[in-house]
Amino acid sequence: MVLITVRLPSEATLKQAMRRLDLREEEVDTGYGLVLIDPEQSLYGLRVSEAAARRIDPAAGDGPYSDPRIEPYGPPR
Amino acid sequence: MRVLIQLRPSPDVVAAVADPGVTATTADVSDGLPGVVLDHSFTPVAVPRPVPATGGDPLSLNQALTFSLAAEHASVLVRGEISDDELSTRLALLPGTRSDVVGVHADPVIESNLTCGGDDPVGDWHDVERLLGVAELRAEGLDGTGVALAIVDTGINSAHVGRHLGSNPIVDVRNSWNPAGVSGTAGQFRVDHGTMCAFDALIGAPRASLIDIPVLLSRRPGGSAMDGLLSDAVAAFAHLRTVLAAQPQATRSLVVSNSWGSFSPRWDFPIGHPGNYSDNAAHPFNLIISSLEQAGADVLFAAGNCGRDCRDSRCAYPDRPIGGANSHSRVLSIGGVDTTGERVGYSSQGPGRLSLRKPDVCAYTHFSGSQAFGAAEPDSGTSAACPVAAGLVAAIRTRWPASALSPSQLRTLLRRTADDRGGVGFDYDYGYGVLDVSGILSSLRRRELRVA
Repeated sequence: MVLITVRLPSEATLKQAMRRLDLREEEVDTGYGLVLIDPEQSLYGLRVSEAAARRIDPAAGDGPYSDPRIEPYGPPR
Repeated sequence: MRVLIQLRPSPDVVAAVADPGVTATTADVSDGLPGVVLDHSFTPVAVPRPVPATGGDPLSLNQALTFSLAAEHASVLVRGEISDDELSTRLALLPGTRSDVVGVHADPVIESNLTCGGDDPVGDWHDVERLLGVAELRAEGLDGTGVALAIVDTGINSAHVGRHLGSNPIVDVRNSWNPAGVSGTAGQFRVDHGTMCAFDALIGAPRASLIDIPVLLSRRPGGSAMDGLLSDAVAAFAHLRTVLAAQPQATRSLVVSNSWGSFSPRWDFPIGHPGNYSDNAAHPFNLIISSLEQAGADVLFAAGNCGRDCRDSRCAYPDRPIGGANSHSRVLSIGGVDTTGERVGYSSQGPGRLSLRKPDVCAYTHFSGSQAFGAAEPDSGTSAACPVAAGLVAAIRTRWPASALSPSQLRTLLRRTADDRGGVGFDYDYGYGVLDVSGILSSLRRRELRVA
C-alpha cells in the first residue's frame, strides 16, 4: 500500500475523502483512517492500494508517496 | 575538512624549512590562501622531490630514485582547513589561481580505536550525567518537570527504567498512543529498544512526562515483526500535534525523540520520483514534521548507524546515509560520541539528503545504562545519543517553553554553543560539535538578562 494526500475541509472524515477520490472500501486501509497532515493547508493523508493510487485524479489528490519500512537504529549490528 | 597543502615557495624559504637548524613557521611560507584557514601551530615540513637516474622517466615512481631536498627541487607542506561547504570548489580553484600551490591533499584523522558496534561499553550513565552537566541543570531547577517527552519507538517498560534509574518515571498514559492494531498499555511494553531510549532521555530530564508512542510495533500490512511503516509515524505525529495543541500556549512544550529510520532505498520510491521519501521534502511525513515543529515541538532524530568506519550491516545507501526526516532542516539530527568525546565509528556522517548540514550536533552513546539488552550490553547507536540529547532539551524546556524560545531558536542555540570537535566549525562527522550544557546555560542566562 502507499500514501496519498487530499485537501479537504477541517474535521473531514474518511468517507468524505473516499468520495472525493472515488475510492472503494477494499482499496483503502480503513484501520489507518484519515490523518491530518497539515491543518494550515487542510491536507490529509490516507493509505490505499497501489492500483487505486494510480488512478487518482491529480486534481483531487496527490500521490502515490512511498510508505517505507522503518526500524530502530540500534544496537548497531 | 582538514587538508595538507603542498607549496613551492621561493628557494630561500624552502631552504629554511629544510634546514633543521632553522625554525620556519607557516607564516614564513605563506601569507594566506583564499578559502583556507591555515594552521599556524603546524611546523611546515619540507618534501623531497623524487629524482630519477639520468635518462629515467620523470613521471614514474616505479624505478630507482633519489630524493632531493635541494631548494630548487623540494616543496613544503603546510596544514589548513577548508570549509566542507566549499571543498570541491576550493580544491578545483586553488592550484589554478595560485602558482605556488602544487597540490591539496586530505589529512584524515588517524584513529585506530574508534568505538564500534559489539565493543564493550565506554563508561556508564553516571559518566553521561557528569558530562551532560546534570548537576548544573539541577542547580537551575531544570529536571523536565511539566515537560512532555515523547519516545517514538518500540514502547516503554517503565518498571525496568525505574529499577535501573533509581526513581520511577512519570508516564503520561492519557496522551500516549498506539498505532491501529497494536495492543498494550503505555509504560508496560516488553523491555526493548524503546525502554533504552526512555532511560537515556531521563538521564537529563528525570521528571519529564513520558509519552509512549510504540510505532515500531506496528504490524500493518507490508510491515514485519521488527519494524513499522512510515505511515504509522505520520499518524503518530498527527496525534502528537493534538497533544501539543491541547497545552496552554504560554507553557507549551513537547520534545519528540526518534531513534529510528529507513535503512534501504529498496523500501522507497526511486530518488527523483515525486513520491520518494529520502530526498523529498514534500513527502507527507516530511510535511507533518514541519507542521509539528511549527506548532512548537522540538523534534530530534538519530543520525543513524551508517558511519564509514563501522557501519551497521543493514545500511544499504551507498552514500549520504542521513536521509528523510533524519536530515530534515526542522529537526535536530544527533550523531554519537562515546564518553571520551570521540565520535563512535558507526555514527552516520553528512551531508544529509534533505538538508546538507547534518548531523547537527553529537551526544553521548555506547555507555552502560539501561541494560535493556542485557547487563553487559551498552546503550548504543545514535539510538542512545538521540534520547540523551532529547533529555537535555526537555530539561531546558522546564523553564523555557516554546513561547519563550522557539524550536528554531533552541536548535540554533544548541548548535552555536556546541563543543567544537573535528574540523574547525561545522563538519560532517560531529556537526557543530558535542552538546555543551555550560555554554547553553550561559547563553540562556544572558538571554534572560536581555529580556528582563
